[in-house]
Amino acid sequence: MESPLFLPVLATCRLLLAWVHFPVPDGLLIDHQLTSPLTSYFRLKEGLWLYHHGVDPYVGGILKHSPLFLSLFSTVPLGRVAWALSDIVGAWALVRIWRSRQQLGQSRRDGLVGTAYLLNPYLLLPSLASSTSTFENAAVLLTLMFAAEGRPSLALLALALSTHLSLTTLLLVVPVLMLLATSPTSQLASPRLFGESYWKVLRYASEFVVYWFVLVCAASIMAGGVWNWMRESWGASLILPDLTPNPGFWWYFFTEMFDHFRPFFLMVFSTHLVIYVMPVCIKFQHDALYAAFLLLGILGAFKPYLTLADPGLFLSMFAVFPEIYPYLRHAIVTALLHAHASLLLPLFHALWVIEGRGNANFYYAASLVMGIAGGAGIVDACFAGMRIAVGSVPEAERGKWEVIQE
Amino acid sequence: MHWLQHLPRHCLFLLACLAAWTLAISQDEPVANFFGKHNGTSGHTNNWAVLVCASRYWFNYRHMANALGMYRTVKRLGIPDSNIILMLADDVACNARNKFPGSVYAKSGRHLDLYGENIEVDYRGYEVTVENFIRLLTGRVDPSVPRSKRLLTDDRSNIFVYMTGHGGNEFLKFQDNEEISAFDIADAFEQMWQKKRYNEIFFMIDTCQANTMYSQFYSPNILATGSSEIGENSYSHENDNDVGVSVIDSYTHFVLEYMEGINKTSQVSMQDLFSSYDPVKIRSHPGVRSDLFQRPLEGALVTDFFGGVSQAEIFPVIEEDADTTLQYITRVSFPDQVVHSDPVSPQAYHDQGVDMTKSNAPALTPEKDNMMLDVRWKDIRKWTSITIVGFLVGWVSFVR
Repeated sequence: MESPLFLPVLATCRLLLAWVHFPVPDGLLIDHQLTSPLTSYFRLKEGLWLYHHGVDPYVGGILKHSPLFLSLFSTVPLGRVAWALSDIVGAWALVRIWRSRQQLGQSRRDGLVGTAYLLNPYLLLPSLASSTSTFENAAVLLTLMFAAEGRPSLALLALALSTHLSLTTLLLVVPVLMLLATSPTSQLASPRLFGESYWKVLRYASEFVVYWFVLVCAASIMAGGVWNWMRESWGASLILPDLTPNPGFWWYFFTEMFDHFRPFFLMVFSTHLVIYVMPVCIKFQHDALYAAFLLLGILGAFKPYLTLADPGLFLSMFAVFPEIYPYLRHAIVTALLHAHASLLLPLFHALWVIEGRGNANFYYAASLVMGIAGGAGIVDACFAGMRIAVGSVPEAERGKWEVIQE
Repeated sequence: MHWLQHLPRHCLFLLACLAAWTLAISQDEPVANFFGKHNGTSGHTNNWAVLVCASRYWFNYRHMANALGMYRTVKRLGIPDSNIILMLADDVACNARNKFPGSVYAKSGRHLDLYGENIEVDYRGYEVTVENFIRLLTGRVDPSVPRSKRLLTDDRSNIFVYMTGHGGNEFLKFQDNEEISAFDIADAFEQMWQKKRYNEIFFMIDTCQANTMYSQFYSPNILATGSSEIGENSYSHENDNDVGVSVIDSYTHFVLEYMEGINKTSQVSMQDLFSSYDPVKIRSHPGVRSDLFQRPLEGALVTDFFGGVSQAEIFPVIEEDADTTLQYITRVSFPDQVVHSDPVSPQAYHDQGVDMTKSNAPALTPEKDNMMLDVRWKDIRKWTSITIVGFLVGWVSFVR
């Protein structure tokens, strides 16, 4: 794993996995844990077919992807190679994030970080299922990579792209702007105030808005209209038209929601995502990369159309922060909860949908376990990130006092 | 003198020509008649029958036999079971008093069993109610009602509605329990007209004072006939001594007898049917109401209502060419482009009497151009958006 050839070999293996036509079982492609209506391969194919036959693909609620996917896959052939390349790009971005955090050119741990991304089953399986969450994750990691390497324009462009692909990534705008203003190196142990100029941040923000606007124009030209694709792709996260079961919280709630209360609860659930931004960013204003990491964890538990790829990104990013490992209090509990949830989810899904012996409550209970697993990870990471600032208890004081909560 | 020798031969030849010519002319007559009768064609494409026996109990055997006789006739003349709604109390065939269980006869002598093994009763027993009848006609049925119990007619359906039972002045008794009035049926038919649920209705009713039942109709395209005038009874025709009750009603008996002489290819008109009514034999005065009926009765065939016969129409052959083929392709692959005129459809020809010329041909060529333009526009959009994104990425990467 320390050899410099390890990562290229791993990347080649991933490419080979795509090239060799081993039969991916259809069950994987439609699995509700791995794909959601926003990321489903079949919907993308259907949208492409409709587009090629001159029908507006956004009429009818089938296609919820961004029009940029349509334009990409109208030119590039739709194949597993695209997903493999996206995976490799994501892994490479994660390694670069690690390197810029450590301010090292090359380290022995690179292989481990790359492996944490490429071999994470939460990320590998959706990629094999051709879920477009792979592209979304890659875009997010590219954003963080460019921001960590101090290349503001590219970072803001990548952020605009990732926000365009998935609306909920808007949560990351604040930490990325902060990261651009500060440095990616680990400041967890020495918190300080965010002393940078707010004008710089505002300039970056306006640049982001410009890039975002250009992408919106490109997408609107592709889709032949402005509101059709916005309503379908971004509106899906806000209005939740499709209640396909997924490992997240939202669908079950809204299946039994009276129409009268729907707007209110949609607002509550969306606000629930937004309220984490400022507290996390204020508390971790000294280490914006860690704030971004925590917000990815929040997204990985509370997103509207959750798939396994979202907690997967959060878990893979743990590899970039080895300094918190000694301070994680219940890492094994989190790991076991994840193992528990990842076994129960497909089991109860099959029991409910395929066999008909269970019902939605079984599956929702398993997704609640997944939520607890995600929550446990976030809470632990949050605590460890703050605990590291307190430092280790000196020998003399060991029996006398103990840090419980900050 | 040589032409005198050939004279017999010439004469014979001339005679043969003359005979052929007159024969040809006389062939024209039935041919012209055949197509002539279609000049006032009803324009229906499917036939339905609603046969209602509104009585129950053993002593109303004849009403059951009336309805079953009509059922057999319309089936024989071509209306399929799927298009027949038969409403019977159906308590006669398996009645404890029936000496011939599982059989219903309409003539003494019991030669023809109307019940048999191949009948399909749609509404039986207590389902034969006024509400169900009106719901059936108007189409306002509960979503749980199966297809076989629905009247799935459209605006090109000819419907034969036959009702029999005990009735009086503008009412008909249903199952000894409730009654339907002439106004109810008239309103139901009007609803059907408003909802375009029929092309023409032929309403036949065999009860006491039957002609009052059609007196209140006010919707177009309804031809009605009944068995007796106001103040008159309709009588049963005959008893069978072994069955023990009257087996058929007089009016229906004579109509069915008339129908036995009709087959699917018959060109007999409704006027012929009505002319065959003999008040002396029927022992009541059957009536006809044709003021709401648009066509002349001589032009309306009996099989227009009693049979499931389609009309054949001849129109000039259009040669298929690239334009019509392209039009078809355009319609199939670009459904959002509406192609308004369809010169190939016989319906269009029938409805509008349009000349089968290529008056629509110039409209087809712009469609072809539009299709190409749409494909180009799609490609333009795709490449524009890709170029924009590409420029943005390139500019940001290298310039900034």
